[in-house]
Amino acid sequence: MRPYLATLRRYGWLIAAILALVWGAGLASAYVDYTTTFESDATIWVLRASPELLVTSPSDPSAPILQTAASQQADLLDQLLQTQSFVRDVVQKTSLSAALAAAQDERRFLASVGKSFQVDTHGTNLLTVAYISHDPKIGPEMVNAALAVRADRVAQASVTFSAAASTLYQQQLASAQTQALDAQKKLDDFDAEHPAPLSDIQQHSRDQLRLTLDFAQIRLGDIRGRIDQATLAPAVLAVSGMEFQVVDQPRVEATPRGGTKPAAMTAAIAFAAGAALVTLLVLLGTILPSHATGPADVARLAPMKLIASVPRVSRAQGSVGSGDVRRSLGAIAFGGGREKSGPRG
Amino acid sequence: MTRAFDGLASRIDALGARSVGFTSALLGEGVSTVALGTALSLAELRGDEVLLVDGNWLQPSLSEDAGLDAAPGLADRLARATELDAAIRRTPGSRIAFLPIGDRTSTRPALRALGSFVASETGSFETVVVDLPPILAGEPFVLPWAAVLDQICVVLREEATPLPVLRQALGRLHAVNAPCIVLNRAKRSSVDVPAKLLAART
Repeated sequence: MRPYLATLRRYGWLIAAILALVWGAGLASAYVDYTTTFESDATIWVLRASPELLVTSPSDPSAPILQTAASQQADLLDQLLQTQSFVRDVVQKTSLSAALAAAQDERRFLASVGKSFQVDTHGTNLLTVAYISHDPKIGPEMVNAALAVRADRVAQASVTFSAAASTLYQQQLASAQTQALDAQKKLDDFDAEHPAPLSDIQQHSRDQLRLTLDFAQIRLGDIRGRIDQATLAPAVLAVSGMEFQVVDQPRVEATPRGGTKPAAMTAAIAFAAGAALVTLLVLLGTILPSHATGPADVARLAPMKLIASVPRVSRAQGSVGSGDVRRSLGAIAFGGGREKSGPRG
Repeated sequence: MTRAFDGLASRIDALGARSVGFTSALLGEGVSTVALGTALSLAELRGDEVLLVDGNWLQPSLSEDAGLDAAPGLADRLARATELDAAIRRTPGSRIAFLPIGDRTSTRPALRALGSFVASETGSFETVVVDLPPILAGEPFVLPWAAVLDQICVVLREEATPLPVLRQALGRLHAVNAPCIVLNRAKRSSVDVPAKLLAART
């Protein structure tokens, strides 16, 4: 440990300069980052749609029933924000669209914008969507645009899904209608062939035909109901807005906010970099000694020989520093002389 | 106070050197302090007056310490502008006869003048100690002295002087006798011979 401490002392000023430079630059950067970062967020209240309004069946095993409404919507937004098309649509709705058009690397630009969004849940039904930027006016624009594009996407997906479901149900309806007509015809034929009174066996056969017709008609009614639901549910959800209500609108922030984490990260990186540089310097300075640290090192200067060592005069030995040694020697040799400060040979 | 330099003085005494110059590779190695301390210690050891010459053309700190940086001295003597006895300053009670640097602008130390100075003019002194500038910074002011002095000592400061720089400086020093090394501000004194010599003398 002593050699390392000696190296530390030897390079004291250099180390101090490195630390001052790296840590100072890091702290300055962190300070600038902190004071020029603005976070704008919207608080949103979300509800899971009523099963009656869902296009899909609530008994569908793929339905994410283990998630809360907030986490479900937050995950949806997070996933959307990871797609370039979504972020591009968001940016194009804001004043950053010109910057996007001028960007040389659109992918990097969109990735940077996407990373500036932050979606967090607060309980089962509350979530916040935040945007961090160095321009306080951009934040609200971006958050509002993200919510608008999300609403468009959800509505579009709902309509698309609704159309697909309607097509499926129409096919099922046609099949069910055929089955119902077929059952009705069989029952009518049976009634025409077998006038009353009917025997027990004939009555049982007629009941079976009647039951088949009833089932076919119930299925027909069920399919018609689903078709109506698939057509109306998206519209009802969109009109009610109950699924996704913005409680607090994003605002233009006047004071810096949200820059603590990036600033702390910058400061931590600068601190670590400074410490790493100093450690490296001390390690190299110790492992690769380039100074005479004793008679053994002087021996490497052969054929020059070490004639003597002049011991270091320390305070512990009752004297005071090397400057005082020089003054004392001067007083002995020259008497009064002249006291003078500054570097001496 | 001079005991720190007794080991070095004893070794120089054992070498039988009459004239010794102290230099270094770089500034700030403590050359002037070592020269001053060694001169005092040699004066005590040999029991005779020692001529301490400030030959540091670059930074004559001994002359400044003595308050004689404007007084006539070595440079004036080499330029034949003053008499040696008039330039040498003696302090009552001290065995040090000090020759300050003088007017450095008047001349530079030339080999012939220095040879005459050391061999003839300082003949009355049993010991001559010269404080010299660093080799790398003041090579023209060191090399002539190296040719005429009995011994040149290169001072290096422990844990401070870069060895490659020291090697470079030693490579430029073409002395008649191989230069010796003085380790200054050492944590431990490494000299054992001078202690024996001191014991024998007492």
